[in-house]
Amino acid sequence: MSAAIEAGVWRAPRWLKQHETLLAIILIIALVSLGAFNNRFLTVENLLDQGRFITETGLIALPMTFVIITGGIDLSVGAIVGLCAIMLGYSWKTFGFPLPLAIIFALFVGAVAGFVNGYVITRVRVPPLIMTIATLALYRGLAEGVSQAHSVRGYPDWFYFLGQGSVFGVPTQLLLLAALIVVAGVALDRTTFGRALYAVGANETAARFSALPVDRVKLIVYTLSGLASGLAAWVLVSRVTTTRMDMGIGYELDVIAAVVLGGASIFGGSGTIWGTVIGLVMIQLLKNGLALTGVKGDATIVVIGVALILSVLIASSLQRRRD
Amino acid sequence: MKARLLITTAAAMFALSFAAGGASAAGKWDGGDDLPTNPIACEAGAVAPAAAPKPYDGGQPTNPPNLAGKKISVVDVPKLIGIGYFNATAQGMQEAAKELGNITVKTDGPTEAKIDEQIRFIDNYITSGVDGVLFAANDPVAISPVLKKALSKGIHVIGYDANSNPDAREWFFNQADFNAIGKTMMDSMAKEIGEDGGFAIVTSTFTTPNQARWIHEMQDYAAKCHPKMQWLETVEAQEDNNLSFNQATTLINKYGDKLKGLFGMTSVATPASAEAVTKAGQCGKIAVVGLATPNAMKPYVHSGCVKSVILWNPIDLGYAATYAMRAAADGKLKPGSTSVDAGRLGKLNIINGSEILLGPPFVWTKDNIDKFDF
Repeated sequence: MSAAIEAGVWRAPRWLKQHETLLAIILIIALVSLGAFNNRFLTVENLLDQGRFITETGLIALPMTFVIITGGIDLSVGAIVGLCAIMLGYSWKTFGFPLPLAIIFALFVGAVAGFVNGYVITRVRVPPLIMTIATLALYRGLAEGVSQAHSVRGYPDWFYFLGQGSVFGVPTQLLLLAALIVVAGVALDRTTFGRALYAVGANETAARFSALPVDRVKLIVYTLSGLASGLAAWVLVSRVTTTRMDMGIGYELDVIAAVVLGGASIFGGSGTIWGTVIGLVMIQLLKNGLALTGVKGDATIVVIGVALILSVLIASSLQRRRD
Repeated sequence: MKARLLITTAAAMFALSFAAGGASAAGKWDGGDDLPTNPIACEAGAVAPAAAPKPYDGGQPTNPPNLAGKKISVVDVPKLIGIGYFNATAQGMQEAAKELGNITVKTDGPTEAKIDEQIRFIDNYITSGVDGVLFAANDPVAISPVLKKALSKGIHVIGYDANSNPDAREWFFNQADFNAIGKTMMDSMAKEIGEDGGFAIVTSTFTTPNQARWIHEMQDYAAKCHPKMQWLETVEAQEDNNLSFNQATTLINKYGDKLKGLFGMTSVATPASAEAVTKAGQCGKIAVVGLATPNAMKPYVHSGCVKSVILWNPIDLGYAATYAMRAAADGKLKPGSTSVDAGRLGKLNIINGSEILLGPPFVWTKDNIDKFDF
């Protein structure tokens, strides 16, 4: 090490070369330049407002990080959002549940949907990609069948507090997301459960032979994924004041983009909650900043695509240097 | 083993409860909404009786800035961009902007008819400080909170083509009376397939406000004036060309001889249904009646596959909406007004509290379709 310094070559410290740090730097550069183009972008009001739109994707991105770290994937989250949204409205309107019970029922449905995913993936050994593509269609079809395409509207005012209210000026759902980010980050970083996730993703056979409860861990993360989708559905219905059976279509792509942008390897074994959060914020603020600068909708999609490609290139070049 | 049994039972109960819930029969046609209808009399050429004037029921912007005579910038957020219909409304808006001279209209919106995307677009434009928002809603209830937010920031909000909740916008441009469309569609279909033919409907989604209104009006008019015609099914095609074609082909294959007519409820569904009928070799045996822009339907009308195309003039719709936006910003169009000056269209009346009517629906046939180019 000292020989290298004497030779005049400066080696960057390890934390600087980490994917998350690079991403954070890119994010700050992007924010500052977008803020320079448009003076309404970097206002507290706008940023907090964007927090409302981040929350639904963010809630699902947290357990999705866990799922991707274990080397799996869950493509059915969008369909679970649609299903839970429908069950919330339907159980309230048609079954006659009191609204708080309907909310809990919707969360329960989400957890069961995730559990079914996890069960078939672990017991029957269907690859996660295939299973969740199948349940994507299954859950969406269930949502359509149950709702018969009718929306449910007319919720009481207190119900909208989660999606549209604020506490001390901060949007309510953003506080919920922040709390869960902390919980997820702690769970991933400081518990044996989190360690087990990395082990399973890095080398599942070795993890199994090390007596880690691989199947139980996987079951838990898929159930959490479904539960988070249910939670996101609750926030979504509260924000748009209606249930529609096409809610959540395309969410899986936004969530996975945020997780992968944040540095999680799609093959499993690496990823952090912090990275996912940066990825999430970057995509949303890019979309928002570009729109405010006057860039039209279709061009924003191109920019997001380019950002994703760049991030994957950076991540893979860092990976190669590490190896 | 026990766990497996428990899981299987839970899953079965889960599935059964859904099946039971979904099996309840719907009393009305799929795709219709729940608002009250007002079917017109059965004779050809009958029009709706003038409705009793209603008090203003729209929303107003909070403390709007005084923009009388000043240049204003307006954003138009249609259901989706990239289809002929909304290209035509955007064209009308640009024509009006050029005539008025002191208003700029930018059309921007999602590339798919998704309400969540549309909400985000409108929210971004509110933040960037536009003076007015023109919209065509993908969902009337879901779009209302963001429109109310616009009103609370002093932004003028006017809708066209597809309404929101009345109190979330100042005015709504209705292209044609819903019951007039219901009557024109059903009468055209009855003329082609007879009084006891079976038909199916291809719509956008079951919750899109304007399609849902039209279907409900069609149902009640049919019950009154063509009671023996059989409604077979309504399918959703979400303003997607491929999906509309596939859905129409599925209907043709599913019902075989029972299907005598197809309704296309969107400007994307109608040409796609006509294409499906042509590809299936059923031209002349299955009638296609629907709402569409003339350019998209010219090949089918000339080949004789489609006899009549119904619409209104979307260029005029966008044109008039822009004039109304200018009048609202100038303070000339306010609650209590009875008409609005719409440039080359003359004075348009305000009906139903806060709706402005464009005029009666227009029917294109082989004889007149070539005169139009949009």
